Amino acid sequence: MRSRPGWALAVHVLLLMAALVMVVPLVWIVLTAFKERNEVFSQIPQWLPAHPTFKNFLGVLDAMPFWRYYWNTIVVAFGILAIQVVTITLAAYAFARMQFWGRDVLFVLLLVQLMIAPQSTVIQNYITVTRLGLLDTKLAIMAPYLASAFGTFLLRQTFKGIPKELEEAAALDGCGTLRFLLHVAIPLALPGYLAFGLVSLTFHWNEFFWPLVVTETTGSRTLTLGLGIFAQTAEGSADWTMLMAMTLMVIAVPLGAFLLFQRRFINSFMQSGLGG
Amino acid sequence: MSSQPGRIGKARRRWAQVLRPYCYILPTFLFLILFTHWPILRTFYVSFFKWNMASPKMEFVGLANYAQAWKAPLFWQVLGNNLLFAAGTLPLTLAIALVLALLINQKIRGLALYRALLFYPTMIPMAAAAMIWLWILTPNYGLLNYYGKWLGLPDVHWLGHSTLALWALVLVGVWKRVGYYMVIYLAGLQVIPEHLHEAARIEGAGAWQRFWRVTFPLVSPTTFFVGVMAVIDAFQAIDQVYLMTGGGPGNATNLFIFYIYQNAFRFFDFGYGSAISAILFLILLGLTLLVFRTLHRKVHYA
Repeated sequence: MRSRPGWALAVHVLLLMAALVMVVPLVWIVLTAFKERNEVFSQIPQWLPAHPTFKNFLGVLDAMPFWRYYWNTIVVAFGILAIQVVTITLAAYAFARMQFWGRDVLFVLLLVQLMIAPQSTVIQNYITVTRLGLLDTKLAIMAPYLASAFGTFLLRQTFKGIPKELEEAAALDGCGTLRFLLHVAIPLALPGYLAFGLVSLTFHWNEFFWPLVVTETTGSRTLTLGLGIFAQTAEGSADWTMLMAMTLMVIAVPLGAFLLFQRRFINSFMQSGLGG
Repeated sequence: MSSQPGRIGKARRRWAQVLRPYCYILPTFLFLILFTHWPILRTFYVSFFKWNMASPKMEFVGLANYAQAWKAPLFWQVLGNNLLFAAGTLPLTLAIALVLALLINQKIRGLALYRALLFYPTMIPMAAAAMIWLWILTPNYGLLNYYGKWLGLPDVHWLGHSTLALWALVLVGVWKRVGYYMVIYLAGLQVIPEHLHEAARIEGAGAWQRFWRVTFPLVSPTTFFVGVMAVIDAFQAIDQVYLMTGGGPGNATNLFIFYIYQNAFRFFDFGYGSAISAILFLILLGLTLLVFRTLHRKVHYA
């Protein structure tokens, strides 16, 4: 649209208002996290902390095995991604470049994963995990996600686009499937891997319900669970400043990564929409 | 005769060729069958059995679990809550996401920053969003009540109120997800060819007409996708229920997954829990088809 200055100003004002609605809650909790415990109990909200303090953050580290939760979250999120990369690469290669009996039916069976709500099978998955002896382990949190229809779908598109001649030429040079994958297909699909990786990491870093169901002790619990549990203890529910400090500690890394690479993240999530 | 080993080798190689693709998809299908296909079938199977703390041995009871749901007022209340939650979330999400995407898609300097500011709630856990809004919605000291009073509204205990609590959850859901759907809409808008807008402009169509005649029909596949996703989202909502209201007050915010969670993991009734899981599964399937059919006529596949 060829814009008149008035229109441009109106668009800015409208978007600024929307952005404020999104950002004000974040600003409010950041400021709360630096306040003294009793400072927040005032009828008139004080935006700026009177005596900015780090006490709340240190208090969180005392009140719970925060770094343990952090480590568990890292292991779960990156562990899932590492295994997914292997499973989706192999499956995507087969579906994109090989002929085999039952291929189309199997592909539809794969896409079923995109259509069903994982929450509706939570009871049965809990039973399965229990029978496998995985209850209350990090592997239990990871197990249902080790195959990914979305990731396979995304990579299959890219692998399909690689010219047949390229693979034949590689084969003539004595290059087997594995080497073709490593030297040609995977490098060409790197943007797809990146998009998938960012979406997967974000999703599993943030997950709450499934880990809640299958974990029982701090040895396997993740950050979001630590936050949820803390919020329901007497200490956490009475102390807004400490709760907001912990919330901030939970979101800091994903948010920081997003601020640094926002275009990458947004494009990745865009693709997740087109894939589904 | 000398060719015998060679022939065996060739046959073996041919078999290897046939089996190779299946080996490649094996890891994926192993996990897929174990954690996607099998649980769907098994959920339906278990739903015909009595299986709880009182009778830890599975006992076939036919449709008794479904009858129990049919007769339970709470089941209907949960269903009603969730439909209301979806009905509140869906139009708000669609409208706000589309309007924001249209605004950001304008060729005006400096709009890229807004995209990030509107999108960031997608990046944070729902558990964290729940904590943020718990604090903002809290009575007496909460930010929302303060500015509400400023506008002359009474002090409201949002999450303790029998009707407002559900709408507070709608608010949190929209806040958390609208940026994501906006980005999906942006992707949809960006593939609409510029010359169509030009043509409409030359024909003398105003901005309003251009939106309804060109943009809206062409972006309808995205609307379809966002619509289905928002409904499925609404029926999957659990983190905020668990952390913000615990299904209360009373059962005013008890949504489907929370109801399943209560029955299976607090009352340890796997039979009944499986029956309501199966019902949820069918509802989601039905809703997806329904949204598809209503929007299908208006969907324009470019």
